[in-house]
Amino acid sequence: MIVCVAVVGHQNNPLYIQSFTDADDALKLHHIVHCSLDVVDERVNNPKRSGPTLNETFLGLLYPTENYKVYGYLTNTKVKFILVTTDLDVRDVDVRNFFKRFHAAYADAVSNPFHMPGKKITSRTFAERVSTIVKSFGFSSAG
Amino acid sequence: MANYLAQFQTIKSACDHLVIAVEDVSDLWPTVKNSFEERLPFKRACLNNKTRNPVFVENLPAEFILTTDARLRSRFPQEQYLFWFREPYATLVLVTCEDLDEFKTILKPRLKLIVQNDEREWFIVFVSRAHPSNDQATKMAKKVYAKLEVDFSSKKRERCCKFDVHGPEANFWEDLESRIMESIRNTLDRRVQFYEDEIRKLSEQRFMPIWNFCNFFILKESLAFMFEMAHLHEDALREYDELELCYLETVNMGGKRREFGGLDHGDDQAALLNPGNKPLTQIVQDDSFREFEFRQYLFACQSKLLFKLNRPFEVASRGYPFIISFSKALALHENILPFCMREVWVITACLALVNATSSEYKDGHVAPEIEKEFYRLQGDLYSLCRVKYLRLAYLIGYGTEIERSPVNSASLSMLPWPKPSVWPSVPDDASSEVLEKEKMILQETPKVKHFGIQRKPLPLEPTVLVREANRRRASLSAGNTSEMFEGRPAFADGSDVSLKTSPSNKVQAISMSRTYSTPGNFEGSIDRPMRLAEILVAAEHALKQTISNPDLRKTLSSIKDFEQKYMELTIGAADNYHRSWWKRHGVVLDGEIAAVCFKHGNFDLAAKSYEKVCALYAGEGWQDLLAEVLPNLAECQKILNDQAGYLSSCVRLLSLDKGLFTMKERQAFQSEVVSLAHSEMKHPVPLDVSSLITFSGNPGPPLELCDGDPGTLSVTLWSGFPDDITLDSLSLTLMATYNADEGGKLRSSSATVLKPGRNTITFPLPPQKPGSYVLGVLTGHIGHLTFRSHSFSKGGPADSDDFMSYEKPTRPILKVFKPRPLVDLSAAISSALLINEAQWIGIIAQPINYSLKGAVLHIDTGPGLKIEESHSIEMESYGNAPKSSSDSGDGSVAVNKEFDQLSLLDGKIEFPDWASDVTSILWIPIRAIDDKLARGSSSGVPQRQSIVDGMRTIALKLEFGISKNQIYDRTIALHFTDPFHVSTRVADKCNDGTLLLQVTLHSQVKASLTVYDAWLDLQDGFVHAGQGDGRPISGFFPLVTSPTSRAGLLFSVSLGKRIAEDENKAQPDSILNIRYGIAGDRTNGAHPPVAAKSNETEGTGQDLIFRSALVLQQPVLDPCLAVGFLPLASDGLRVGQLVTMKWRIERLKDIEVKKVPQTDDEVLYEVNAHSENWMIAGRKRGHVSLSTKQGSRIVVSILCVPLIAGYVHPPQLGLPDIDEANISCSPAGPHLVCVLPPALSSSFCIPA
Repeated sequence: MIVCVAVVGHQNNPLYIQSFTDADDALKLHHIVHCSLDVVDERVNNPKRSGPTLNETFLGLLYPTENYKVYGYLTNTKVKFILVTTDLDVRDVDVRNFFKRFHAAYADAVSNPFHMPGKKITSRTFAERVSTIVKSFGFSSAG
Repeated sequence: MANYLAQFQTIKSACDHLVIAVEDVSDLWPTVKNSFEERLPFKRACLNNKTRNPVFVENLPAEFILTTDARLRSRFPQEQYLFWFREPYATLVLVTCEDLDEFKTILKPRLKLIVQNDEREWFIVFVSRAHPSNDQATKMAKKVYAKLEVDFSSKKRERCCKFDVHGPEANFWEDLESRIMESIRNTLDRRVQFYEDEIRKLSEQRFMPIWNFCNFFILKESLAFMFEMAHLHEDALREYDELELCYLETVNMGGKRREFGGLDHGDDQAALLNPGNKPLTQIVQDDSFREFEFRQYLFACQSKLLFKLNRPFEVASRGYPFIISFSKALALHENILPFCMREVWVITACLALVNATSSEYKDGHVAPEIEKEFYRLQGDLYSLCRVKYLRLAYLIGYGTEIERSPVNSASLSMLPWPKPSVWPSVPDDASSEVLEKEKMILQETPKVKHFGIQRKPLPLEPTVLVREANRRRASLSAGNTSEMFEGRPAFADGSDVSLKTSPSNKVQAISMSRTYSTPGNFEGSIDRPMRLAEILVAAEHALKQTISNPDLRKTLSSIKDFEQKYMELTIGAADNYHRSWWKRHGVVLDGEIAAVCFKHGNFDLAAKSYEKVCALYAGEGWQDLLAEVLPNLAECQKILNDQAGYLSSCVRLLSLDKGLFTMKERQAFQSEVVSLAHSEMKHPVPLDVSSLITFSGNPGPPLELCDGDPGTLSVTLWSGFPDDITLDSLSLTLMATYNADEGGKLRSSSATVLKPGRNTITFPLPPQKPGSYVLGVLTGHIGHLTFRSHSFSKGGPADSDDFMSYEKPTRPILKVFKPRPLVDLSAAISSALLINEAQWIGIIAQPINYSLKGAVLHIDTGPGLKIEESHSIEMESYGNAPKSSSDSGDGSVAVNKEFDQLSLLDGKIEFPDWASDVTSILWIPIRAIDDKLARGSSSGVPQRQSIVDGMRTIALKLEFGISKNQIYDRTIALHFTDPFHVSTRVADKCNDGTLLLQVTLHSQVKASLTVYDAWLDLQDGFVHAGQGDGRPISGFFPLVTSPTSRAGLLFSVSLGKRIAEDENKAQPDSILNIRYGIAGDRTNGAHPPVAAKSNETEGTGQDLIFRSALVLQQPVLDPCLAVGFLPLASDGLRVGQLVTMKWRIERLKDIEVKKVPQTDDEVLYEVNAHSENWMIAGRKRGHVSLSTKQGSRIVVSILCVPLIAGYVHPPQLGLPDIDEANISCSPAGPHLVCVLPPALSSSFCIPA
């Protein structure tokens, strides 16, 4: 289950965080997303270590913890997408696909002339679209 | 083959180095043993690794063992084969011989026998015992050795070397070592080949039922062990890696259920770094090994090799995933393992790994990236350990001590509960402990955050523990469980009661739990659901059973110990993260440390750590997280009495996203700020409220001001305070855009009340230097507190993530223009005005795109000028186009002409409102005073009156602008003049002594003058001719004179008697009086005097009197002689040519004897000529006789030669004896005559 998706701006500021848990514990997901930026930073700042994935937007698994997984995605404008899932066996291709769709939704949302760049994304359409993508995660690996 | 396992282990432990067999043929070993063994271990050796590439190894240990030694003799061939790795790697044959025959007959066959076994790598050391001084023996030894070499060495391989007992040759040891190495290398290669072949054979069968992992393991580890003996650690490591892969691949193959292991005492302590923890024979199971022990064993072997390779980083980097994956494996078998075995194992594993790697790790030995990564791994290990430790602590009831922070919640709430097959039950004798726990739970007071912030605490539990524990108890049905919770939902999920339930509910809950905890109910605990306290007690007991490490058990025995361990782990994790790339992890854990410090009253430390955390969150705009920590920081600061910090924290809290706190909480923040601001602060510090009060200029174009003008600037302020806030003072700086100077400061005088949200504040703006300005800093006071704000808002409310400050708006708010003329004052008159009359002077006040509203004009007249205060000043609007003179007089011709009459007060006048923006003209009645009487001139050419005489100045000072700040000074020159200039000429002298006096009137003004009357008051000595009353002869009055034209009057006067006595009284000059009128336009110049203006409409112009003095000179004598110059010859004068100058002297009247001194009729004459110009022939001076009768005449002629050409004065005839007054020159001689150059002497040039 995807518990949280987040968009983080190029200054590492949160632009959009949506958790998909029932409990009132969004803060811990904020924490997870925030800390995962350490890993993103590390990968971005150490191109030597990231090696072949240098030119790839998909950062892969950021966090091999026991109980949840954090995936990252870095756009060309240094906007980060973070996905937190409690599924412990996730196919990479599913995550890639998820991020691709998420990226498209993000691009549409920030293309809105009323959106102020660098500000939080408040679009309801975006939120709906994201929850659709989240719901369909894992089911539609083809599309 | 598995039977050999025990033996294998023994062999491995007994032998950890290479063996070199010594075949002591000639009983020499005792002699040479010491010197040989001194060479061990081999300093440097070259061996081949598994891929047959040469590898240099250092300090290779080895042992020389005689073939006769029991260790080498007692082996069965089968064993030898299996444990080949321990067999000698080289055979050293030690021989000596001193005789060739003996060598041939005895030694050589024996050696042949020894070396015929191909399996062994051998070489011969020939020991020469010959003393170097003994030549015979030395030679023999050499011969024998030569023979030996011939027999045993081949071209391909040297197998011999010679050792002199009495001082070995220099290169012997090198030779020996190279022989040994060659042998070892060959043996090693052969054995590696053998093992590889065997292993390949076996691994091909690995998916077959007959597969036996133990056999594979023995072979594989033998190979690895052999590599290790040869110090080829890399190869050994690779073997272990392959072994691990193969194990994981085959461990659960074939559906065989194997025991997992981990049930022995002490298994909870990870042995992942201790390969010898348990003998392998103990963990063997069927044909394989128990996973629990064996995987740890493999990791231990690997880490041992890695440490030997000096790669502690790799141990850590392999260790962390190993622990994670092993923990997963433990989770799979959790139902058979002791309670919480998994957690305990992970804790011990992490700690072991951390301790081992950090003690092996030396800073600076690796690349910086690796170093960072190493510390990151250490941090990860610590924090993993920490999480598991927290879980254990929670299970035994220390949950209340655990901070419900996001980091703890993130790691704990997603970490599943331990899943034992049956949840441990309460021991029989633990009822007192249960009571105690119960009490502890009840005493848990919900931690109230500062400012009364109430938040639902973050969960530390994946699910409700009570439910989970009871579910795992076989005897309980699910239905009971739900009944169980109804009474105490709050306790179940760990949140505090008071928040969710009303006080009455709380009491109920407590009483309910009390009833449960009565001992009577306690007996039947098997059948009824356990309560939380029971669960905790049960878990504690179970854990004590599980944990074998006394230290770890101790850390869980009391809250104090727990906290100590918890701090140790947290600090360890934080420190290591700080040294790695993962600063955020480190800082977040600092926050956890701060929480503990706070709890123990170490507020200083807590505040420092909290500040770091807040800075981290604030820096990147994670407001939700910041909102969680910031109140804690504020509380610390308040306790520490750090007012500045506390205030800034309050401000930061207020400036956080509005949704993060309730209105009430935000009001609490504000009231803190306000009460502190109004209290006596010891060290008042400026408070930065940039995030809370933002400001912006009003939209639209900037305010434009002229240089020196004040204005008012309206600024929009956004207040982020939840309530109205009173600012005791407020000021705003302006920054000049293109230079570094700070512009002016705007102050709002009175206290300002800011409403939440948008406020418009108007500042009075003092005059500014020219330039454009942007808003700078907003400062002000709340109570005693100074605050400043640097923040601009873009015209919207401060957004939640405004931490990314906008670029300074470059849009100027104010433009002050460079100084430019704002107004022009100029005289409206172009020509002279009448002197001594009240005249209007027109002053045009022309505003140049600037309002003259309320302008005040100071008028200061210069000397000789005064304002006619009896008249009011007129003001009228003035068309831009130069006015034609047609509508002079009345200014109301134009349609929208404004007209006003103003009065002068203290030398100044105020402009009416209508004059603010239009060009207007001011008419000021003025009079130039000149006491002097105008004087006429007597020559025919009118002599101009000196301009300076008629010049007057008027100084004007216009004060205008919003606060009379603009000053315009102008001095205007005014010309005044008399209406006429009078010149006189005696037009004719009549025979009867009457003089016709022609008086010419030159009009001096640009206005038509009408002379109505003129009369002459004659001076003494003159009388009007006839019965005239002094009026001119002409009767053409009124006489109209156009501007700048002339008019003439003729008076006839005659000489009268001089009244000598009255000389003083009599007027010295004659006075010409002219009564005239003037018709002129004040816009052009002279015009009727002001007073006349009122009558003007009636058509009767007021007559003016002009008086001018005339000088009439009385002729003293009549001429009695006339001297006339007779005309010259018409052909002109030429240089050098004689000319006769003639003068005629005529006696005009009889000479009165008494007057003329001469008695005869002779007249003295004299000719004066410039001697350079003229040569005079004849008498220049002499007497001529002239009859005294009237009319007698005589001609004086004189011969002259002009000397130079040009215009020269001709000679003059003078009569020195006669007064000039009595001589009239008629006709007068020429002033200059023209003298031509001499004629050409043509006679010489004329051709014949």
